[in-house]
Amino acid sequence: MIAGPLLLLILPLAVAGIVYILLRWTSIAGLLAMIAALALGFAVITLPLDQPVRFWGGRQIAMGEVVTFFGRELVLEPDDRVAMAFLFFTSAGIFFLAWRFVPHSLLHPMGLALLSLLSGALLIRPLIYAALLLEIAAALSVFALQSEDGPPSRGGLRYLTFTTLALPGLLVTHWLLERYALTPDETGLLGMSAALLALSFALLLGVVPFHTWVPAVTNDGVALAGTFVLTIGNGAVWFLLLDFLETYPWLSDHPRFATLTFSAGLAMVVVGGLLAPAQRRLGALVGYAALVDSGAALIALGMDSKLGLTLAFMSLLVRPLGLILVSAGLSGLRARNGGDDDIDTLRGLGRQAPWSTAALIFGGLSMAGLPVSAGFVWRWALCRALALSSPGSALLVLLASVGIIVGVWRGLAALLMHPRAPEDRSIIPLRSPEGWLTAAVVSVTIIACVGVGLFPQALTPLAVQLAEAYTFFTP
Amino acid sequence: MPTLVDLLERVSFLAAMPATAGLLVTAGLLVVSRDWRLNVTALTVQYFFVVLLLTRLIRLEVAAVKGLTGWMICMVFYLTERRASVLEQSSDAEEKALARRWILSARASFCLLAGILVSVAAYTAALRIPLPEVPTDITLACYLLAGLGMLLLGLSESPMQVGLGLLTFLSGFDLFYVALEPSLAVAGLLGAVSFLIALATAYLRAVQIAAASEGRAL
Repeated sequence: MIAGPLLLLILPLAVAGIVYILLRWTSIAGLLAMIAALALGFAVITLPLDQPVRFWGGRQIAMGEVVTFFGRELVLEPDDRVAMAFLFFTSAGIFFLAWRFVPHSLLHPMGLALLSLLSGALLIRPLIYAALLLEIAAALSVFALQSEDGPPSRGGLRYLTFTTLALPGLLVTHWLLERYALTPDETGLLGMSAALLALSFALLLGVVPFHTWVPAVTNDGVALAGTFVLTIGNGAVWFLLLDFLETYPWLSDHPRFATLTFSAGLAMVVVGGLLAPAQRRLGALVGYAALVDSGAALIALGMDSKLGLTLAFMSLLVRPLGLILVSAGLSGLRARNGGDDDIDTLRGLGRQAPWSTAALIFGGLSMAGLPVSAGFVWRWALCRALALSSPGSALLVLLASVGIIVGVWRGLAALLMHPRAPEDRSIIPLRSPEGWLTAAVVSVTIIACVGVGLFPQALTPLAVQLAEAYTFFTP
Repeated sequence: MPTLVDLLERVSFLAAMPATAGLLVTAGLLVVSRDWRLNVTALTVQYFFVVLLLTRLIRLEVAAVKGLTGWMICMVFYLTERRASVLEQSSDAEEKALARRWILSARASFCLLAGILVSVAAYTAALRIPLPEVPTDITLACYLLAGLGMLLLGLSESPMQVGLGLLTFLSGFDLFYVALEPSLAVAGLLGAVSFLIALATAYLRAVQIAAASEGRAL
């Protein structure tokens, strides 16, 4: 019998090895990575936890079986299923677009290896090992973030640096809490743990002033790998944070929890909203848009209510749609502009790469939370909820969206301009050089993004189900 | 023939303040110097002093394994930088070195001053905020390594310097954390983290060299 948790760890690693060997055949490698991620996502969602399932050859898989790995427990609990499925399905989406936009990068094999590590981080008990697995994942993401022919990725280095700085806090907290369990009179240990956890998660989530790694990962290197970090990696950090809050309810009961989380989120929204329109490079704009989105999710968590938690989950579920699209567009435009994404140099490129431009614009609008896009679904609900309790914050969230729209508009204006030199105009082909396959892939993703915007009820029950699994906000 | 463990036992008399002083010197060198030979040597000696201090907190064999991991990391850095220096020699080396000497002296003075400030802060912190479960000299060593490691991170964006900074910071934390959590699994995972950081930074350094070579070729 094969234990499910072990399968979720070993299978992505094994497929990563195969994909690395097949990297020369880009379509096979890309599609294999996507199919593996999809299959694991479906397995997590559909296979029952309470009984083994028989597969071909008489082999049985027991998804709910607890596995002991080097003396630590790996367990897939019912509440973890949606989180795990989120990781796998989002990865499949990223691999799907990476197949067309960055087929030669290391994203496919490294992404699968990262999936294995991040799954391990969500499945392993105690949580101390999750911190170590996250750190190993951050070190591996440097390889995925580095583009083939570009300069060394500053984003990868910064991400690794901030994750490493966050590690001691998480590990020492575990020891402090174990000591508190033995000596409950020492309440100072709880205060110290809370401070260390706050600092560590601020570093991991890119809270201002530790946000510099967020625009850096999208500014250089492989944009879709940056998206992997900001959706899958960030998602794993969010689920880890919520696991901490669930395991140690005194954290969410702390009198300063709501204020601190809310203020941190607001600072991210304000900084992101102010800096997004001032960027000269589209990569940095995407990073600041992601910062605003992350900040808004923290504001939702800081509302200290079940509704806020549901909205935070909604943000996690819809963020990949916008971010994947915008990064795919960015990759396509960079590929046609010698790796540069400076707005001034992109003049007229929209005519040569219409599908990349469309992906960039639809993704950017979703990141800004504009109507008829996936991002609107939760951003509007957040603004409505905030309008009652904190109208000033609601206004700031809306203004941050305006900041992102201004940035996207500048990019669009440059892309749709006529090329400066007449000789450049003469080489504009009548048919898009991006190919029908790229057009199909982008179209499917745009339809998914708009579809979620028009029919949010497809994702809302999942967010509600996820929020129901956590009890720390229950009165 | 004496084993590594025997050798460590023989020099165990250094495993107190002399080792801490050694760490101050090696980490200080990493902050001030940009010469890769000096840096790799300083890192190698730094791991030696860390292992000496670790022998007071954990079993000698485990400390020796941690030391071996550290020295393997030094080997990775050595091989990467050696290759880089061969490729860089093709450029106008003499002119560059002359210019660098002047640039270095101003930069090195600043780094030295910053290093002294951080060391004083670490000394004060060791006296005022002692770490639990570890003696004072190891507390000082932890603060020194963590502080100077963070200083290295702040002073440069070059992959190798960042790598050296991260590894110095992690060494300081490891020295403290083994006293709290002596589990072999955690020790192994921390070793893996250090090794992967070294590989990632060496990879980025290789990319940097390749990009520079291509730039020159064009």
